[in-house]
Amino acid sequence: MADAEVDLLRSSLDLLILKALSWAPMHGYAISEWIDDATRSVLLVEEGTLYPALHRLERRGWIASEWGVSDNNRKAKFYSMTPAGRARLRAESRVWQRNADAIAAVLRRTPS
Amino acid sequence: MSSGKRWRPLFRLPRFGRRAIARDLEHQLDDELSFHIRMREERLTQLGLSPDDARADAVARFGDHERIRAECLAIDQQYAREVTIMDWLESIGADVRFALRTLRRAPAFTVIAALTLALGVGATTAIFTLVNGILLRPLPYAHSEQLVRLIQSFPEKGLEWWPLSQPNAVGYQRDVTDFTHFAAYYPQGVTLTGDGAPERLMALHVTGDFFTTLGVPPAVGRVVVDSEVTKASAPVAILGYGFWQSHFAGNTSVVGKMVDLDGTPTRVIGVMPRGFSFWRPDVPVFLPFRADPTKRFGWYLGGVGRLKPGVSLAHAERQATVSMWNWARANSTLLWPKPLNPETTHMRAILTPLQGVVTGSVKRPLLVLQGAVVLLLLIAIANIATLVSSRAAARTSEIAVRTALGASARRVARQLITESLVVAAIGGVVGITFGVLAVRAFGAWSENDLPRIREVGVDWRVLAFALVLSVASGVLFGLAPALRMARNRRLADDLAGTQKASARRATRRLNNAMIVTQIALSLVLLVSAGLLIKSFRRLVQTDLGFEPRGVLTMSVPLPMKKYMDRQAAAPAMEAIVERVRHLPSVRSVAAATNLPYNGINSDGFIVEGREPPPSAGAETQVIQLAATPGYFNVLRIPMRYGRDFASTDRDGTLPVVIVDEAFVRPFWKGHEALGKRMHFSGDTTWLTIVGVVGTVRDQDAAQEGLPHAYTPYAQEPGTQPRLAITTSAGGGGNVAAVLAEVRRAVAELEPGAPIADVRVLSDAVGQALANRRMTEVLLASFALIALLLAVVGIYGVTNLYVTSRTREFGIRIAVGAEPSRVIRLVLREGLVLAIAGVTIGAVGALFATRWLESLLYEVSPTDPAIFTGLSLALLLAAVLSCYRPARRAASADPLSALRAD
Repeated sequence: MADAEVDLLRSSLDLLILKALSWAPMHGYAISEWIDDATRSVLLVEEGTLYPALHRLERRGWIASEWGVSDNNRKAKFYSMTPAGRARLRAESRVWQRNADAIAAVLRRTPS
Repeated sequence: MSSGKRWRPLFRLPRFGRRAIARDLEHQLDDELSFHIRMREERLTQLGLSPDDARADAVARFGDHERIRAECLAIDQQYAREVTIMDWLESIGADVRFALRTLRRAPAFTVIAALTLALGVGATTAIFTLVNGILLRPLPYAHSEQLVRLIQSFPEKGLEWWPLSQPNAVGYQRDVTDFTHFAAYYPQGVTLTGDGAPERLMALHVTGDFFTTLGVPPAVGRVVVDSEVTKASAPVAILGYGFWQSHFAGNTSVVGKMVDLDGTPTRVIGVMPRGFSFWRPDVPVFLPFRADPTKRFGWYLGGVGRLKPGVSLAHAERQATVSMWNWARANSTLLWPKPLNPETTHMRAILTPLQGVVTGSVKRPLLVLQGAVVLLLLIAIANIATLVSSRAAARTSEIAVRTALGASARRVARQLITESLVVAAIGGVVGITFGVLAVRAFGAWSENDLPRIREVGVDWRVLAFALVLSVASGVLFGLAPALRMARNRRLADDLAGTQKASARRATRRLNNAMIVTQIALSLVLLVSAGLLIKSFRRLVQTDLGFEPRGVLTMSVPLPMKKYMDRQAAAPAMEAIVERVRHLPSVRSVAAATNLPYNGINSDGFIVEGREPPPSAGAETQVIQLAATPGYFNVLRIPMRYGRDFASTDRDGTLPVVIVDEAFVRPFWKGHEALGKRMHFSGDTTWLTIVGVVGTVRDQDAAQEGLPHAYTPYAQEPGTQPRLAITTSAGGGGNVAAVLAEVRRAVAELEPGAPIADVRVLSDAVGQALANRRMTEVLLASFALIALLLAVVGIYGVTNLYVTSRTREFGIRIAVGAEPSRVIRLVLREGLVLAIAGVTIGAVGALFATRWLESLLYEVSPTDPAIFTGLSLALLLAAVLSCYRPARRAASADPLSALRAD
């Protein structure tokens, strides 16, 4: 993968995780399912890459983790969003939206 | 508490990547990742895959398991580390906050302990900064350790300190192969003329190799090298940084400009960098010249050489002495009536490391101060030790309660040390601030009195030392009570506040030892300061033989070009003196070639009929100066016999001389000198003695200098005379007014002559004592601080002694003891300590003050008045500081004392 693509993936993955957790606390597997659903399996080619992203976000204080019990009674690590994470999500979404609009506008433009 | 356990670290530093933490992190990570794979596997099975396929598919969809695991682990470990540090900092923060709360409850202890440490650390920082900056740091030249000063000596001619002649300088540069470079120099004022009034500048005249020898490149333009400086080369000047700033506003276009110096157009070719200093700080201008090997007379040059790497000073000195002797043999008639005999003549060259030359005058005073400051620091530490141990003794119950409530011993010890470190930190920071400010103030105060003071700055080594000192004392004073607490752990005793007797005795022994130490060290400082003060008083009261008060002096350098013929200078100067004499604010005035504390000119001499037998050797030098009539009157030098110069003593009349009593003493009794004749070595004209005046100490109040011989200015004029003026108003209050009048008068008569070097003579005399005054003032302040600390220490310890024995005193009073007996008892306790301290201190002072001997003037280092007087004063202070605790003991209430049980 080209570096630019990695960066793009990483930042979009961070955003998706935050978005997923904005609904409710989830464990990693649930987050991966949610992303799969939401993006129609476009983004998360390797499910494992989710985890470094989760750990990085936790370290930055945007999400917090806690061990709990899953639906099927297994010990699972649940992630939840912190207030800092919520602010981050808002800011990031705005930036994404602006960039996406700009790029879309460029692409729509016909050569004159 | 087992002894093995006691030494577990009190402050466990966060250990990075500790195994347990690492293992825990890995476990959690593996759980998390395998949970994911298992969930995926189950989901796939539900969708209908065989367990094996589901397993394989789940793993494949997960991706590179190893890489992902490693990445997560790296993030987690980094995170764990940060969390550990934060926790650690937080726990320290909590300890410090707790310590601050505790200390706030004991403000007296905190303030006194911190202030004591601050005084010790501050004084140490200040003095060590001076010692480091002045004595230890290398001079600001390239490889300054290779630089040496060269001077000559010819003891048989009375010349212990003999400057170089120009042929000497040429010889050393040529012959001393141990030098890579050698240069000679002499200071000589020059008159700068240009747009405004003429201005006098001090110039350092240097031979061509000067800048190469020192190895300092110019800041602007260039300097000269030896080969380009010849007799025929056009004169050039290199400016000093300060002069460049003040006269050319630091403009680099100054290079290439012409300036008129002594009427000679001189081209400026460069500027030396800021901070460059040689001979004196901030020399305004350096003028290169070529030493002339044919100029046989005139010994006024200093020499500076750079030794080849690895060459010894002694070897180079021998080479230089050989060069000198070669010159002396070829010119022996110049120096000595008979052929020179190396067996009996100790003529030689002397090399001294330049660093020693620059700092020589202040080395001893600074080392004495350094010694004093170390003593002061020891006193401060002893003082804090007593304070801390007294406080610890008073806190045993508090600590026992905390232990009983579940604080581990480690925890309590850690708390004690944190407390002590907090006090040390406060003391250290305040002390270092004191020190830095003191150095600043000191620099401003003694700018012209201390060599290199402008280079002195607080550097990291001194700061590091002060910090280590503070922290070390903090740990030390925290550790001592912590250890004792660990040793002496009988809860019941502690709770009751009744320590075991043995422990109490140990505390008291320690305190007593500390007090005795403090008193002893204080006495050493007091006696040293006392000796210096007495010596300084003696020095200030010394009869100089002339009266410097109310005398204003200045030099009036006549334009060199106009007065090439020196005889022409005499009438010009007489006219100036005449004009100045009639100025309204001038009472008396005289001119002379030199004035006290302002340069000397010495020569050998021969008295008619008393020529020294040529083999006998020892000649003495005489200070020679030419003066106008009235000189002795202006300076109030008493005329013992004969007469002053008169206006009839002029060129062409009988050559006369007035000598002083020191001159007369070896030859005649007083008045017999009149009518006898003498001549100087440099001039064979016989001079008839017409007067005898009192001896003056005109260079150093501490020394009876060389004899003097005065000639009439009209018969022996110089082109750079100085004026000495007493004002009609008496004091020096209207210096500016007098100066303005004199300036106008001189400008009318001699427009090219500047007025320079204006001084009030008594200031010049004071200036010469500045180093001694500095040592005296500093040492006296150290001694006073020491005394104060010792008094506080005695007070504290006596107080503690009284507290611990309140019950006993109460009982004594209950059974009928007179309160005065109790007072005597306590006072005796203090007196015994004080006597022990003073005795030890007196013995110590006997050793220590030997070290001061070279700084003392007419005071013996064992001066009995100082020793007994200060010992008694210290005893008295000690007893007085016990008085309050003693009164408290005497008023101990018998009933409450008994109830305390």
